[in-house]
Amino acid sequence: MTESGNNTTEFTRHRVLIIDDAEDVHRLLGARLKQERLELLSALDGRTALEMAREQDPSLVLLDLDMPGMDGFEVLRHLKASDETHEIPVIVLSGLQSPADKVTAFDLGAVDYITKPFDLMELRVRVRSALKMADLINMLAQRAHIDGLTGLYNRIAFDERWAQSTAENQRHAKPLSLAIFDLDHFKSINDTYGHPAGDEALRTFARLLQRECRQSDVPCRFGGEEFVLIMPETGPDAAAAVCNRIREALEAIEWPAHPERRVTVSCGVLGADNTATISPSDWVQATDEQLYAAKNGGRNRVMVSRADRADQSLRQTG
Amino acid sequence: MAFGWGVQMSNPESFGPPIRSEFAGDPDMLELVEEFVRELPGRAASLSASYDQGEIESVTRLTHQLSGACGGYGFGEIGEVARDLECRLKKMGSAAELLTVREQVDELVSMCSRVVV
Repeated sequence: MTESGNNTTEFTRHRVLIIDDAEDVHRLLGARLKQERLELLSALDGRTALEMAREQDPSLVLLDLDMPGMDGFEVLRHLKASDETHEIPVIVLSGLQSPADKVTAFDLGAVDYITKPFDLMELRVRVRSALKMADLINMLAQRAHIDGLTGLYNRIAFDERWAQSTAENQRHAKPLSLAIFDLDHFKSINDTYGHPAGDEALRTFARLLQRECRQSDVPCRFGGEEFVLIMPETGPDAAAAVCNRIREALEAIEWPAHPERRVTVSCGVLGADNTATISPSDWVQATDEQLYAAKNGGRNRVMVSRADRADQSLRQTG
Repeated sequence: MAFGWGVQMSNPESFGPPIRSEFAGDPDMLELVEEFVRELPGRAASLSASYDQGEIESVTRLTHQLSGACGGYGFGEIGEVARDLECRLKKMGSAAELLTVREQVDELVSMCSRVVV
Protein backbone atom coordinates (compact mmCIF):
# COMPACT_ATOMS: atom_id res chain seq x y z
CA MET A 1 0.00 0.00 0.00
CA THR A 2 1.56 3.23 -1.13
CA GLU A 3 0.62 6.88 -0.88
CA SER A 4 -0.45 6.98 -4.50
CA GLY A 5 -2.61 3.92 -3.82
CA ASN A 6 -4.57 5.90 -1.27
CA ASN A 7 -5.52 8.56 -3.76
CA THR A 8 -7.05 6.30 -6.34
CA THR A 9 -10.41 6.25 -4.55
CA GLU A 10 -11.05 9.76 -5.87
CA PHE A 11 -10.83 8.57 -9.44
CA THR A 12 -12.60 5.26 -9.30
CA ARG A 13 -16.32 5.14 -9.93
CA HIS A 14 -18.28 4.55 -6.80
CA ARG A 15 -20.52 1.53 -6.87
CA VAL A 16 -24.00 2.22 -5.55
CA LEU A 17 -26.46 -0.58 -4.80
CA ILE A 18 -30.12 0.40 -5.23
CA ILE A 19 -32.61 -1.80 -3.40
CA ASP A 20 -36.23 -1.26 -4.38
CA ASP A 21 -39.01 -3.60 -5.42
CA ALA A 22 -40.24 -1.22 -8.15
CA GLU A 23 -38.34 -1.34 -11.43
CA ASP A 24 -39.56 2.20 -12.16
CA VAL A 25 -37.50 3.48 -9.28
CA HIS A 26 -34.35 1.83 -10.62
CA ARG A 27 -34.83 3.39 -14.05
CA LEU A 28 -35.62 6.72 -12.47
CA LEU A 29 -32.54 6.71 -10.24
CA GLY A 30 -30.45 5.61 -13.19
CA ALA A 31 -31.52 8.72 -15.09
CA ARG A 32 -31.32 11.00 -12.08
CA LEU A 33 -27.84 9.91 -11.09
CA LYS A 34 -26.45 9.66 -14.62
CA GLN A 35 -24.23 12.70 -14.25
CA GLU A 36 -22.72 11.49 -11.01
CA ARG A 37 -20.45 8.94 -12.70
CA LEU A 38 -21.61 6.10 -10.52
CA GLU A 39 -21.80 2.41 -11.22
CA LEU A 40 -25.35 1.47 -10.29
CA LEU A 41 -26.33 -2.01 -9.18
CA SER A 42 -29.97 -3.02 -8.89
CA ALA A 43 -31.68 -5.40 -6.52
CA LEU A 44 -35.44 -5.90 -6.58
CA ASP A 45 -35.72 -7.76 -3.27
CA GLY A 46 -33.99 -7.99 0.08
CA ARG A 47 -32.40 -11.43 -0.25
CA THR A 48 -30.78 -10.62 -3.58
CA ALA A 49 -29.68 -7.28 -2.17
CA LEU A 50 -27.85 -8.83 0.78
CA GLU A 51 -26.05 -11.23 -1.52
CA MET A 52 -25.03 -8.41 -3.85
CA ALA A 53 -23.89 -6.24 -0.94
CA ARG A 54 -21.59 -9.05 0.21
CA GLU A 55 -20.24 -9.90 -3.20
CA GLN A 56 -19.95 -6.50 -4.85
CA ASP A 57 -18.91 -4.40 -1.86
CA PRO A 58 -20.72 -1.21 -2.89
CA SER A 59 -19.65 2.22 -1.57
CA LEU A 60 -23.23 3.15 -0.82
CA VAL A 61 -26.64 1.53 -0.55
CA LEU A 62 -29.91 3.29 -1.43
CA LEU A 63 -32.61 1.34 0.33
CA ASP A 64 -36.39 1.34 -0.03
CA LEU A 65 -38.23 0.43 3.19
CA ASP A 66 -41.57 -0.75 1.95
CA MET A 67 -40.88 -3.96 0.07
CA PRO A 68 -42.81 -7.24 0.02
CA GLY A 69 -41.12 -10.18 1.76
CA MET A 70 -38.05 -8.89 3.55
CA ASP A 71 -38.69 -5.20 4.14
CA GLY A 72 -36.09 -2.43 4.21
CA PHE A 73 -35.71 -2.38 7.98
CA GLU A 74 -34.93 -6.08 7.91
CA VAL A 75 -32.41 -5.60 5.10
CA LEU A 76 -30.79 -2.78 7.08
CA ARG A 77 -30.59 -4.98 10.18
CA HIS A 78 -28.86 -7.72 8.19
CA LEU A 79 -26.46 -5.31 6.51
CA LYS A 80 -25.42 -3.86 9.85
CA ALA A 81 -25.15 -7.24 11.57
CA SER A 82 -22.66 -8.69 9.08
CA ASP A 83 -18.93 -7.97 9.34
CA GLU A 84 -18.72 -7.93 5.57
CA THR A 85 -21.32 -5.22 5.06
CA HIS A 86 -21.71 -3.23 8.27
CA GLU A 87 -19.44 -0.43 7.12
CA ILE A 88 -21.36 0.30 3.91
CA PRO A 89 -23.30 3.55 4.37
CA VAL A 90 -27.03 3.24 3.76
CA ILE A 91 -29.38 6.01 2.65
CA VAL A 92 -33.00 5.11 3.14
CA LEU A 93 -35.17 6.17 0.24
CA SER A 94 -38.74 5.79 1.28
CA GLY A 95 -42.33 6.80 0.82
CA LEU A 96 -42.82 6.35 4.56
CA GLN A 97 -42.70 9.84 5.98
CA SER A 98 -43.45 9.35 9.68
CA PRO A 99 -40.83 10.50 12.19
CA ALA A 100 -41.03 7.08 13.84
CA ASP A 101 -39.87 5.38 10.62
CA LYS A 102 -37.04 7.87 10.25
CA VAL A 103 -35.93 7.35 13.83
CA THR A 104 -36.01 3.57 13.40
CA ALA A 105 -33.95 3.82 10.22
CA PHE A 106 -31.28 5.97 11.89
CA ASP A 107 -31.29 3.75 14.98
CA LEU A 108 -30.63 0.75 12.76
CA GLY A 109 -27.61 2.51 11.26
CA ALA A 110 -28.81 4.46 8.20
CA VAL A 111 -26.73 7.57 7.47
CA ASP A 112 -29.53 9.52 5.79
CA TYR A 113 -33.21 9.41 4.92
CA ILE A 114 -34.76 10.74 1.72
CA THR A 115 -38.52 10.74 1.28
CA LYS A 116 -40.15 9.81 -2.01
CA PRO A 117 -40.97 11.42 -4.32
CA PHE A 118 -37.48 12.83 -4.07
CA ASP A 119 -36.26 16.14 -5.33
CA LEU A 120 -33.58 15.71 -7.97
CA MET A 121 -31.04 18.13 -6.53
CA GLU A 122 -31.61 16.96 -2.99
CA LEU A 123 -31.04 13.37 -4.03
CA ARG A 124 -27.82 14.23 -5.81
CA VAL A 125 -26.32 16.27 -2.98
CA ARG A 126 -27.26 13.72 -0.35
CA VAL A 127 -25.69 10.90 -2.38
CA ARG A 128 -22.56 13.01 -2.94
CA SER A 129 -22.34 13.89 0.71
CA ALA A 130 -22.69 10.27 1.83
CA LEU A 131 -20.01 9.14 -0.63
CA LYS A 132 -17.65 11.91 0.45
CA MET A 133 -18.09 10.95 4.07
CA ALA A 134 -17.49 7.29 3.23
CA ASP A 135 -14.29 8.22 1.35
CA LEU A 136 -13.01 10.21 4.30
CA ILE A 137 -13.74 7.39 6.72
CA ASN A 138 -11.97 4.91 4.43
CA MET A 139 -9.02 7.23 4.07
CA LEU A 140 -8.70 7.67 7.83
CA ALA A 141 -8.99 3.94 8.36
CA GLN A 142 -6.25 3.38 5.79
CA ARG A 143 -4.04 6.11 7.19
CA ALA A 144 -4.32 4.57 10.62
CA HIS A 145 -2.74 1.46 9.11
CA ILE A 146 -0.05 3.14 7.05
CA ASP A 147 3.42 4.19 8.14
CA GLY A 148 3.87 7.84 7.22
CA LEU A 149 7.55 7.70 6.26
CA THR A 150 7.60 4.58 4.11
CA GLY A 151 3.98 4.10 3.03
CA LEU A 152 4.15 0.48 4.22
CA TYR A 153 1.65 -1.03 6.62
CA ASN A 154 2.39 -0.10 10.22
CA ARG A 155 2.48 -2.16 13.40
CA ILE A 156 -1.31 -1.97 13.89
CA ALA A 157 -1.89 -3.35 10.40
CA PHE A 158 0.74 -6.01 10.99
CA ASP A 159 -1.00 -7.24 14.14
CA GLU A 160 -4.25 -7.65 12.21
CA ARG A 161 -2.71 -9.33 9.20
CA TRP A 162 -0.57 -11.60 11.33
CA ALA A 163 -3.62 -12.74 13.31
CA GLN A 164 -5.40 -13.54 10.01
CA SER A 165 -2.39 -15.32 8.53
CA THR A 166 -1.69 -17.49 11.57
CA ALA A 167 -5.39 -18.38 11.82
CA GLU A 168 -5.26 -19.55 8.18
CA ASN A 169 -2.18 -21.61 8.96
CA GLN A 170 -3.94 -23.22 11.95
CA ARG A 171 -7.18 -23.91 10.12
CA HIS A 172 -5.89 -25.22 6.84
CA ALA A 173 -2.28 -26.20 7.63
CA LYS A 174 -1.18 -23.80 4.90
CA PRO A 175 2.49 -22.87 4.78
CA LEU A 176 3.36 -19.53 6.34
CA SER A 177 6.56 -17.67 7.09
CA LEU A 178 7.50 -14.53 8.92
CA ALA A 179 10.66 -12.48 8.48
CA ILE A 180 11.96 -9.63 10.61
CA PHE A 181 14.55 -7.33 9.04
CA ASP A 182 16.73 -4.86 10.90
CA LEU A 183 19.04 -2.45 9.10
CA ASP A 184 22.62 -2.96 10.29
CA HIS A 185 24.31 -0.16 12.23
CA PHE A 186 21.41 2.16 11.46
CA LYS A 187 22.21 4.49 14.35
CA SER A 188 25.69 5.03 12.94
CA ILE A 189 24.21 5.98 9.51
CA ASN A 190 22.04 8.56 11.25
CA ASP A 191 24.89 9.83 13.37
CA THR A 192 27.43 9.94 10.56
CA TYR A 193 25.37 11.24 7.63
CA GLY A 194 22.41 12.90 9.38
CA HIS A 195 18.76 11.99 9.77
CA PRO A 196 17.81 12.72 6.14
CA ALA A 197 20.28 10.00 5.11
CA GLY A 198 18.76 7.68 7.70
CA ASP A 199 15.25 8.40 6.44
CA GLU A 200 16.41 7.81 2.89
CA ALA A 201 17.81 4.43 3.88
CA LEU A 202 14.46 3.49 5.49
CA ARG A 203 12.45 4.64 2.47
CA THR A 204 14.76 2.93 0.02
CA PHE A 205 14.63 -0.33 1.93
CA ALA A 206 10.83 -0.07 2.13
CA ARG A 207 10.62 0.36 -1.67
CA LEU A 208 12.99 -2.51 -2.20
CA LEU A 209 10.99 -4.71 0.16
CA GLN A 210 7.86 -3.91 -1.77
CA ARG A 211 9.51 -4.53 -5.11
CA GLU A 212 11.24 -7.78 -4.22
CA CYS A 213 8.44 -9.49 -2.32
CA ARG A 214 5.56 -11.27 -4.04
CA GLN A 215 2.01 -10.04 -4.55
CA SER A 216 0.62 -12.03 -1.62
CA ASP A 217 3.38 -11.00 0.81
CA VAL A 218 2.64 -8.29 3.35
CA PRO A 219 5.55 -5.94 4.09
CA CYS A 220 5.21 -3.73 7.18
CA ARG A 221 7.36 -1.28 9.08
CA PHE A 222 7.53 -2.67 12.58
CA GLY A 223 9.03 0.46 14.08
CA GLY A 224 12.43 2.23 13.97
CA GLU A 225 14.68 0.42 11.50
CA GLU A 226 12.78 -2.86 11.88
CA PHE A 227 10.60 -4.26 9.10
CA VAL A 228 8.54 -7.42 8.91
CA LEU A 229 7.38 -9.48 5.98
CA ILE A 230 4.46 -11.90 6.24
CA MET A 231 4.75 -14.56 3.56
CA PRO A 232 1.54 -16.58 3.19
CA GLU A 233 1.67 -19.93 1.34
CA THR A 234 5.43 -19.94 1.82
CA GLY A 235 7.50 -22.46 3.76
CA PRO A 236 10.80 -21.58 5.50
CA ASP A 237 13.10 -22.52 2.60
CA ALA A 238 11.30 -20.42 0.01
CA ALA A 239 10.97 -17.60 2.56
CA ALA A 240 14.70 -17.64 3.23
CA ALA A 241 15.33 -17.40 -0.51
CA VAL A 242 13.06 -14.34 -0.79
CA CYS A 243 14.79 -12.69 2.17
CA ASN A 244 18.23 -13.40 0.82
CA ARG A 245 17.26 -11.80 -2.47
CA ILE A 246 16.15 -8.72 -0.52
CA ARG A 247 19.34 -8.71 1.55
CA GLU A 248 21.51 -8.93 -1.57
CA ALA A 249 19.54 -6.24 -3.38
CA LEU A 250 20.06 -3.81 -0.51
CA GLU A 251 23.76 -4.55 -0.30
CA ALA A 252 24.09 -3.83 -4.02
CA ILE A 253 22.67 -0.33 -3.77
CA GLU A 254 25.05 2.61 -4.17
CA TRP A 255 24.12 5.63 -2.10
CA PRO A 256 24.65 9.10 -3.60
CA ALA A 257 24.73 10.67 -0.13
CA HIS A 258 27.42 8.25 1.12
CA PRO A 259 29.09 6.37 -1.76
CA GLU A 260 31.73 5.00 0.59
CA ARG A 261 29.18 3.27 2.79
CA ARG A 262 26.86 0.42 1.83
CA VAL A 263 23.75 -0.34 3.87
CA THR A 264 23.10 -3.93 4.88
CA VAL A 265 20.33 -5.75 6.66
CA SER A 266 20.08 -8.70 9.02
CA CYS A 267 17.09 -10.96 8.90
CA GLY A 268 15.45 -13.67 10.99
CA VAL A 269 12.96 -16.04 9.40
CA LEU A 270 10.61 -18.50 11.06
CA GLY A 271 8.43 -20.55 8.75
CA ALA A 272 6.10 -23.51 8.70
CA ASP A 273 5.18 -25.91 5.90
CA ASN A 274 2.40 -27.33 8.05
CA THR A 275 0.40 -26.25 11.08
CA ALA A 276 2.64 -24.32 13.42
CA THR A 277 3.28 -25.71 16.89
CA ILE A 278 3.71 -22.29 18.51
CA SER A 279 1.37 -19.38 19.22
CA PRO A 280 1.31 -16.30 16.96
CA SER A 281 3.07 -14.16 19.57
CA ASP A 282 5.71 -16.83 20.27
CA TRP A 283 6.22 -17.04 16.52
CA VAL A 284 7.09 -13.34 16.40
CA GLN A 285 9.31 -13.76 19.46
CA ALA A 286 11.13 -16.75 17.94
CA THR A 287 11.59 -14.87 14.64
CA ASP A 288 13.14 -12.04 16.60
CA GLU A 289 15.52 -14.57 18.15
CA GLN A 290 16.58 -15.62 14.64
CA LEU A 291 17.22 -11.98 13.84
CA TYR A 292 19.30 -11.72 17.01
CA ALA A 293 21.27 -14.77 15.88
CA ALA A 294 21.86 -13.13 12.49
CA LYS A 295 23.15 -10.01 14.21
CA ASN A 296 25.41 -12.04 16.48
CA GLY A 297 26.61 -14.11 13.57
CA GLY A 298 28.13 -11.03 11.96
CA ARG A 299 25.12 -9.18 10.40
CA ASN A 300 24.19 -8.94 6.69
CA ARG A 301 22.75 -12.45 6.79
CA VAL A 302 19.50 -14.40 7.00
CA MET A 303 18.89 -16.96 9.77
CA VAL A 304 16.02 -19.36 9.35
CA SER A 305 14.21 -21.86 11.53
CA ARG A 306 10.95 -23.77 11.60
CA ALA A 307 7.71 -23.08 13.44
CA ASP A 308 6.16 -26.50 12.76
CA ARG A 309 8.63 -28.84 14.44
CA ALA A 310 10.02 -29.51 17.88
CA ASP A 311 13.48 -29.38 16.33
CA GLN A 312 13.95 -25.67 15.69
CA SER A 313 17.65 -25.78 14.98
CA LEU A 314 19.33 -22.64 13.68
CA ARG A 315 20.50 -22.49 10.14
CA GLN A 316 22.30 -19.76 8.41
CA THR A 317 21.59 -19.14 4.77
CA GLY A 318 23.61 -16.64 2.87
CA MET B 1 -64.31 -4.03 -17.93
CA ALA B 2 -67.09 -3.90 -15.43
CA PHE B 3 -66.45 -0.25 -14.60
CA GLY B 4 -65.94 0.88 -18.15
CA TRP B 5 -62.26 1.91 -17.95
CA GLY B 6 -61.80 0.85 -21.53
CA VAL B 7 -63.92 3.75 -22.65
CA GLN B 8 -61.82 6.18 -20.61
CA MET B 9 -58.58 4.89 -22.01
CA SER B 10 -59.66 5.16 -25.59
CA ASN B 11 -60.88 8.70 -25.04
CA PRO B 12 -59.23 10.19 -21.98
CA GLU B 13 -60.32 13.78 -22.63
CA SER B 14 -63.93 13.02 -22.00
CA PHE B 15 -63.22 12.16 -18.34
CA GLY B 16 -60.97 15.01 -17.41
CA PRO B 17 -58.04 17.11 -18.58
CA PRO B 18 -54.79 15.39 -19.56
CA ILE B 19 -52.20 15.11 -16.80
CA ARG B 20 -48.70 16.20 -17.78
CA SER B 21 -45.39 15.25 -16.21
CA GLU B 22 -43.66 18.05 -14.32
CA PHE B 23 -40.46 16.82 -15.97
CA ALA B 24 -41.71 17.11 -19.55
CA GLY B 25 -39.10 19.80 -20.22
CA ASP B 26 -36.18 17.88 -18.71
CA PRO B 27 -34.13 16.30 -21.52
CA ASP B 28 -32.55 13.81 -19.08
CA MET B 29 -35.98 12.55 -18.21
CA LEU B 30 -37.85 12.76 -21.48
CA GLU B 31 -37.22 9.23 -22.66
CA LEU B 32 -38.01 7.73 -19.27
CA VAL B 33 -41.18 9.74 -18.86
CA GLU B 34 -42.31 8.69 -22.33
CA GLU B 35 -41.76 5.05 -21.45
CA PHE B 36 -43.55 5.47 -18.15
CA VAL B 37 -46.48 7.17 -19.86
CA ARG B 38 -46.64 4.39 -22.45
CA GLU B 39 -46.83 1.77 -19.70
CA LEU B 40 -49.22 3.54 -17.38
CA PRO B 41 -52.53 2.72 -19.11
CA GLY B 42 -51.54 -0.96 -19.08
CA ARG B 43 -50.86 -0.76 -15.37
CA ALA B 44 -54.16 0.99 -14.80
CA ALA B 45 -55.89 -1.81 -16.70
CA SER B 46 -54.15 -4.44 -14.52
CA LEU B 47 -55.15 -2.55 -11.39
CA SER B 48 -58.71 -2.31 -12.55
CA ALA B 49 -58.83 -6.01 -13.49
CA SER B 50 -57.34 -7.06 -10.13
CA TYR B 51 -59.88 -4.90 -8.38
CA ASP B 52 -62.73 -6.45 -10.32
CA GLN B 53 -61.47 -9.91 -9.37
CA GLY B 54 -61.20 -8.90 -5.71
CA GLU B 55 -57.47 -9.73 -5.64
CA ILE B 56 -56.46 -7.55 -2.74
CA GLU B 57 -52.77 -8.52 -2.78
CA SER B 58 -52.38 -7.66 -6.41
CA VAL B 59 -54.31 -4.38 -5.99
CA THR B 60 -52.07 -3.44 -3.07
CA ARG B 61 -48.87 -4.30 -4.94
CA LEU B 62 -49.83 -2.36 -8.06
CA THR B 63 -50.94 0.62 -6.00
CA HIS B 64 -47.71 0.51 -4.00
CA GLN B 65 -45.67 0.58 -7.20
CA LEU B 66 -47.65 3.55 -8.51
CA SER B 67 -47.28 5.39 -5.22
CA GLY B 68 -43.52 4.88 -5.30
CA ALA B 69 -42.99 5.76 -8.92
CA CYS B 70 -45.49 8.39 -10.07
CA GLY B 71 -43.99 11.22 -8.06
CA GLY B 72 -40.54 10.43 -9.36
CA TYR B 73 -41.70 10.68 -12.98
CA GLY B 74 -43.35 14.03 -12.43
CA PHE B 75 -46.86 12.84 -11.67
CA GLY B 76 -46.98 13.87 -8.02
CA GLU B 77 -50.72 14.29 -8.00
CA ILE B 78 -51.28 10.66 -9.06
CA GLY B 79 -48.62 9.54 -6.57
CA GLU B 80 -50.56 11.15 -3.74
CA VAL B 81 -53.82 9.49 -4.71
CA ALA B 82 -51.97 6.16 -4.94
CA ARG B 83 -50.33 6.72 -1.55
CA ASP B 84 -53.65 7.44 0.18
CA LEU B 85 -55.18 4.38 -1.43
CA GLU B 86 -52.19 2.26 -0.45
CA CYS B 87 -52.59 3.35 3.20
CA ARG B 88 -56.21 2.28 3.22
CA LEU B 89 -55.48 -0.99 1.44
CA LYS B 90 -52.86 -1.91 3.99
CA LYS B 91 -55.29 -1.50 6.84
CA MET B 92 -57.81 -3.88 5.30
CA GLY B 93 -58.46 -7.22 6.92
CA SER B 94 -60.24 -8.89 4.01
CA ALA B 95 -60.89 -8.57 0.30
CA ALA B 96 -64.50 -7.71 1.06
CA GLU B 97 -63.35 -4.31 2.29
CA LEU B 98 -62.15 -3.52 -1.24
CA LEU B 99 -65.64 -2.20 -1.88
CA THR B 100 -64.95 0.75 0.44
CA VAL B 101 -62.21 2.11 -1.84
CA ARG B 102 -64.02 1.80 -5.14
CA GLU B 103 -64.09 5.54 -5.69
CA GLN B 104 -60.38 5.94 -5.06
CA VAL B 105 -59.50 3.07 -7.35
CA ASP B 106 -61.73 4.63 -10.00
CA GLU B 107 -59.99 7.94 -9.58
CA LEU B 108 -56.51 6.43 -9.72
CA VAL B 109 -57.30 4.39 -12.84
CA SER B 110 -58.87 7.41 -14.47
CA MET B 111 -55.87 9.59 -13.73
CA CYS B 112 -53.45 6.96 -15.03
CA SER B 113 -55.33 6.81 -18.29
CA ARG B 114 -55.10 10.58 -18.76
CA VAL B 115 -51.34 10.97 -18.60
CA VAL B 116 -49.42 12.55 -21.44
CA VAL B 117 -45.76 13.52 -21.71
